[in-house]
Amino acid sequence: MITVQAEYTARFKEITQITSETIQLEQPHMAELAQILTTKYGERMEALLIDPKTQDLNTNGTLFVDSTGRRLFIDDTLADGETVSFMVGIAGG
Amino acid sequence: MEGGLLRVDLTTGTIKKERIPHALFERWVGGSGINDWLMWEHFLKHDPMCDPRSPDNIFIFGVGPLAGVGSGIGVKGRLTFKSPCYGIFGDSAGGGKFPYMVRFSGFDYIVVTGKAPKPVYLHICNEEVTICDATHLWGKGCEETHEMLKQELGDYPSTTHTLSIGQAGENQVGIAGVVSDGWRIHARSGGGGVMGSKNLKAIAVQGNGGVKIDNPNGLLEWSDDFRQKLDGNEAAYGFKRRGTLGAVEMYQRIGGNFWRNNQGALFRGEEVRSDNWVKKYHKYSEVCSSDCYIACDGRYKIEGHESEQAKKFVGETFRHPEYLTTASGAGAMDIRDWAEVAHWGKITNDYGIDNQDLSCSIGFIMELKQRELISDRDVEELFGKPQSLEWGNIEDIEELVKNVSYQTNPFGWLFRDGAYWGALRYSEQKGQNFMKYAIYGKGGASFTEEMRPFPTWMNNMAVASRGSDHLKGIGLIEKFQRKDLSKAYFGTPIAGDPTVPDLKGACTAVLENQVALINSYGVCLFHWLLDPLSYAPESYYGEAYTAVTGIDRTKEERMLDGERICNLEKAYNSRLGLRREHDTICERWMHEPCPEGPNKGRVAADMFEQVLDEYYEWRGWDKETGLQTRKKLEELGMEDVADVLAADNAIAGESRSGRAVHVEMKASDDPGIPD
Ligand code: SF4
Repeated sequence: MITVQAEYTARFKEITQITSETIQLEQPHMAELAQILTTKYGERMEALLIDPKTQDLNTNGTLFVDSTGRRLFIDDTLADGETVSFMVGIAGG
Repeated sequence: MEGGLLRVDLTTGTIKKERIPHALFERWVGGSGINDWLMWEHFLKHDPMCDPRSPDNIFIFGVGPLAGVGSGIGVKGRLTFKSPCYGIFGDSAGGGKFPYMVRFSGFDYIVVTGKAPKPVYLHICNEEVTICDATHLWGKGCEETHEMLKQELGDYPSTTHTLSIGQAGENQVGIAGVVSDGWRIHARSGGGGVMGSKNLKAIAVQGNGGVKIDNPNGLLEWSDDFRQKLDGNEAAYGFKRRGTLGAVEMYQRIGGNFWRNNQGALFRGEEVRSDNWVKKYHKYSEVCSSDCYIACDGRYKIEGHESEQAKKFVGETFRHPEYLTTASGAGAMDIRDWAEVAHWGKITNDYGIDNQDLSCSIGFIMELKQRELISDRDVEELFGKPQSLEWGNIEDIEELVKNVSYQTNPFGWLFRDGAYWGALRYSEQKGQNFMKYAIYGKGGASFTEEMRPFPTWMNNMAVASRGSDHLKGIGLIEKFQRKDLSKAYFGTPIAGDPTVPDLKGACTAVLENQVALINSYGVCLFHWLLDPLSYAPESYYGEAYTAVTGIDRTKEERMLDGERICNLEKAYNSRLGLRREHDTICERWMHEPCPEGPNKGRVAADMFEQVLDEYYEWRGWDKETGLQTRKKLEELGMEDVADVLAADNAIAGESRSGRAVHVEMKASDDPGIPD
């Protein structure tokens, strides 16, 4: 069992209605964190988190990183105490 | 497919209407591609080395075949000219209704040359074109100019849409932009300075004609499919709410922000680090002015309760701050309140000036003051009075915006072409070298994002045809660590890893070609960025292009179309004498370690030359000189361009007698320092 901190920005913040929370995982896997979040927050979260074509984490217009700024994919392992940020991945203007 | 071309010579008052033949669309696609060709042709008859503020410069507005056809991809018009601030190829995109109203009036391209003897505006009304007196508009900001023209010209046969310059353009400020419908700026490269040099205050257009579509049913089907795809895209919904502003929090975590003239890579103010503005500020109109299914744009109003500072701006309306308005205001100059950031965006828009270049000019001088490299007396000499130059002080900043826009004091004169030229002139004037505090890339253009940890992004800043810029090459694969995209593009995930140089130059080359296609179709980049594989410009968007124009192509051929356009922009710069040494970035980005965040310690120099070499390899250009090769140009069917370059000694490996062109890139006439 490990504990991770999930931080939400932009659209993720609107869906969860919070900016961060602590989540416990049975297995230290990003896949489990994604599963917990889609179960907890429903369809809109799933549409943002999971790419239906690949069943991997959605990469289009989103960016999920650990505390070092490294992008996370579904088969990544998480360390105990890790912070995972859920963000939009588009810039410019 | 044919297009309408309007040529206006402001010196003689001559107006000519021509057709753009199908063959030009076959070769140059449309939009920015045809603009580039019109400019290339112009400079075969005129001296490419001309002063960009002289009547010999050309000012082109163009709109691509997908503009105004109801496809929902968003419309972008394009301005092309020789840049008055950087002295090289210049162009700039902008949205709103103006671009497709030009098409509805019967034209796709407007070419302005010469110089009017007094201020004028151009009125285009369903192919009737009049050069009108603009004396009454001179001295007005862009919003007021737009409102006055709307009043004057009315709503028949259609509402009036405008492109105009503010006070900065009138004063021929090099970094002045051109504003669409009073509130959306074509900011980059200094188109406003070119319009000002021609005494052209505005172009107003009214049109109620249609647009010819080769295969209307095909386009309808495509458009329906596109809408359905976007409907199912949750990220697109989030983007609609915030536009690019979601990037503030994202960059804060990946170390991509820019703070106090890039002395830092993270924003400080609690308020501007969040997206509180979405909650606090009143969006009074949602504006999708651009035939766009996303509609990320909106107008907001300050009511006064949002923050203490907001009380100063009650009633002020503004377009929501995009990421780069925020990066320039909250980042480069450390403004910490949203109302003040919005005000910064509003005034730079209204005076018509590029907030990237201007914020780096202001940030530069603030940093010199912070480091006590200039004295109070120096400051008084620059501004004609004491000036606090305190980071984030909006009152001070507003004065500096006016100084440059109205050219009222030495600071304004020195920095009229942006941070690089300003720093250079000031260093010469003071006999000290301040260049290590100037932020710039190619051409001297500035940009307010942290570059050092992102090799493709850094390379884009060094090679972009219009000078340091994010919208030619896009850092999509590496900056967002898209290993999935890297695999799809190159068969390996490595381009998605920003910590190594591999395939970063390749990313610039390939994505520049794709962006050139999108710009030539005349549509917005953002939809593509939301799903780059599904909305690939060479395949999916290409189908819409084929439905409109009847020009069918394989995906490989379309990529070559994009590459051809990039090569034409490059060729123009080579004629001006640009070589490998001009593909560079500033000292701070190159050698000063990134000061904070997850990429602390990274410097661009570690990978710079390797990435640049790889870029030239992917482009098929000569690595030593940076010049194009005849072989590559012939592959692209550009023998005519190769011959011109050869005559100018601007092609690799062909040295001839004749005009020896190798001059220093320079901004037009140094303004000098008045007594
Ligand atoms: S996505 Fe935004 S910027 Fe692009 S056309 Fe649509 S409204 Fe305009």
